[in-house]
Amino acid sequence: MLAAPGVASAQTYPEPKDPGPVAPKPKGPFETHTVCKRGCAFKKIQAAVNAADAGDTIRVRNGVYREAVRINGQKKRYLKLIGNRKHPEKVLLRARGSMQNGIAVNNADEVTVDGFMARGYKANGFFFTNVNGYKMNHLIARQTGVYGLYAFNSIGGSILNSEAYYVNDGAFYIGQTPPQDKPKRTIVRNVSGWGAPLGFSATNMRYVTITKSRFYNNAVGIAPNALDSEKFPPAEENVIIDNEIFWNNFNFHQGKPPFPVRSEGTAALVPVGTGILLFGGKGNRVENNRIYGNFLAGVVAIEGFLVEKTPAARTLERNQIKGNRFGEDGTDVNGMDLVYDGNGTGNCFSMDGVSTTFPADRSTFAGGCDGSPNVFNQTVQQALVGWIGENAVKAWNKHPHPPKPGIKPLEIYGS
Amino acid sequence: MATTRRTFFGAAGSVALLCTIGGEEVEVTAPEQADAVAARVKRPRGAIAQAVPQIQPAPGGVRREYWIQAETRRWNITPKGRDEWHNRRIAGRNVFTAYVYREMTPGFAGPAGPAKMPGPILTGEVGDVLVVHFRNADTELRQAVTMHPHGVKYNPEYDGAYMGEFTRAGGFIAPGETFTYQWECTPDSVGVWPYHDHGPNHTLNTFRGLFGTIIVRPKGQAWPNKTYALHAHQLVPAVTKLERTFQCINGRAYAGNTPTLRSRVGETVEIHAVGMDSNFHTFHIHGHRWKDPAGVYTDNPAFGPNEVVSARFVEDNPGRWLYHCHVFTHQDAGMAGWYVVDP
Repeated sequence: MLAAPGVASAQTYPEPKDPGPVAPKPKGPFETHTVCKRGCAFKKIQAAVNAADAGDTIRVRNGVYREAVRINGQKKRYLKLIGNRKHPEKVLLRARGSMQNGIAVNNADEVTVDGFMARGYKANGFFFTNVNGYKMNHLIARQTGVYGLYAFNSIGGSILNSEAYYVNDGAFYIGQTPPQDKPKRTIVRNVSGWGAPLGFSATNMRYVTITKSRFYNNAVGIAPNALDSEKFPPAEENVIIDNEIFWNNFNFHQGKPPFPVRSEGTAALVPVGTGILLFGGKGNRVENNRIYGNFLAGVVAIEGFLVEKTPAARTLERNQIKGNRFGEDGTDVNGMDLVYDGNGTGNCFSMDGVSTTFPADRSTFAGGCDGSPNVFNQTVQQALVGWIGENAVKAWNKHPHPPKPGIKPLEIYGS
Repeated sequence: MATTRRTFFGAAGSVALLCTIGGEEVEVTAPEQADAVAARVKRPRGAIAQAVPQIQPAPGGVRREYWIQAETRRWNITPKGRDEWHNRRIAGRNVFTAYVYREMTPGFAGPAGPAKMPGPILTGEVGDVLVVHFRNADTELRQAVTMHPHGVKYNPEYDGAYMGEFTRAGGFIAPGETFTYQWECTPDSVGVWPYHDHGPNHTLNTFRGLFGTIIVRPKGQAWPNKTYALHAHQLVPAVTKLERTFQCINGRAYAGNTPTLRSRVGETVEIHAVGMDSNFHTFHIHGHRWKDPAGVYTDNPAFGPNEVVSARFVEDNPGRWLYHCHVFTHQDAGMAGWYVVDP
């Protein structure tokens, strides 16, 4: 979240460009290239990529591959890079030295990457940029420098059945989606983001549906946000529906987290203990999620006050927060279920099933559902700003969580 | 294949379709011909969405949101493989690639129902706005499709019609794209109406299954206990690449495969019959009669392409009944079904 591409490694990132219309589907005939350690046509994935034409399939057998794969340009469009869909961890991309990305796709539309694990890269596990159409499926990213699975300046893709953890910014990140008059939606389904400052970071993200996924043990679960550091603020027309967002109380500022902690940038500033943070944004919908055990708040909505270049992008407009289940019937409550500074117009909050709010008198939540202006309160906003970073811990409602099979709460790592 | 009474009736109407697609006249003997032409149609300059208006409901009305996507699927016209009316096996190939509307959950997060023919019934009351988030989710056929409604009020952006260089935003939704239609339920929208594809290849794609039903009611009017929408249409070899023509109701042919309607004595029942091909049909239910809009009792009204006739009655006659089109060549080639009334 925030200028991470530039901060992380500006020299290795391609410049963003207009992804343009989707490239035509290649006509074939298509070939399948096989990669393995011994006895295959290729030993290196990159060598197979270099030999492949648009639309070809590259099958990578189990093994450890110490390389940073690049798929560049429309001559590689519609390429399918297939590892082990059932056991992605058996096709391991392991960084060596200062390798930046496990697999980086730039300006090659409709590429599929399916069935890999990436570990230890300085920048990202799987990185798609400047593409129209992409598919990431059955991927695992662990201890990658900035993001786990990352799509930037791209249009219409899917991120499915994947996991990312122990990264120092967003486990998943979709950013700077170009505005489109007839949007191609991106679908994120059945992913898990945990052990990171942000489970899902979404600076200026558009037209994305996040569903049937889990974001837990992060500082913040999901954060659609508006920033000047990337083009096209704010986050717009996203749908966060039917997810489980819980236990996001990872105070990575303390202890010895399994990644280099960033002391600057927005990731360092996110209020620890938050399920969903709407930091500016228009037309976003947060519906039918289970949100519990987040010690600061379940959902926080606040003006995108860091936006300066495009003031119109600061305001919260037409966001809908409804139908969510908070606090697991009182057994694992949030510090506060809903928090809102009252900024903007037409922001609609359903109070069904909501136990606690900030402000407690619910005054800022009035109006909005009929398209009217909401009730802004400067004092409330200042209180929210005071919860930056680990300052939020002071406002926590901390309590034990009911046990959950296979998952332990993470508040301080290595303490 | 030997000519029989069944194959003779089945072959009726199986000549090539004549379509005009993006300025080209195409004689379609197999769908690939039309698909190839449709895939070449370029986006008209005027079809770019620019500040499309947000339509607000009338006082007391609401915005009723639907998320619907168009997708292809393999479709079995006679899944039971039998004609229960005549108790006989239906031989031959019966599966083709249909193109249908599917209701999705918000954000197109997942299916809200099956991909089927017809698409979901859209309902509203006078004063409401039907807000239809539409997505062209098919990438194989590489052509634009739309949703074009009948009966409701809309401005040109929301017409959902490809019109060459005059096409507006909603008239060209390319593969992968979404567009939000906004249709007003005005007092003169009360009734039952079809919606269907009206993109560059609309004749073929509507015949393949891109159609559905809109029902608008007066504000506050109670719904009947049972509401059914039956679309009468034929599936011809030029569309299906099968050996014969099937005369269908909702994409199925022959009793037992077509929808079996059910009710109980005392229930209010509405059955709407929609013409969804280029033929004229009639809608006949055995053992029942009802008043037409002129107040005259009928049991077999006629209807034409994209026309709707409605049977409304309070059920009082238990038993197993046939319903069918009374054009005999249609009835005998599958356009028939069961209506079962429990005591």
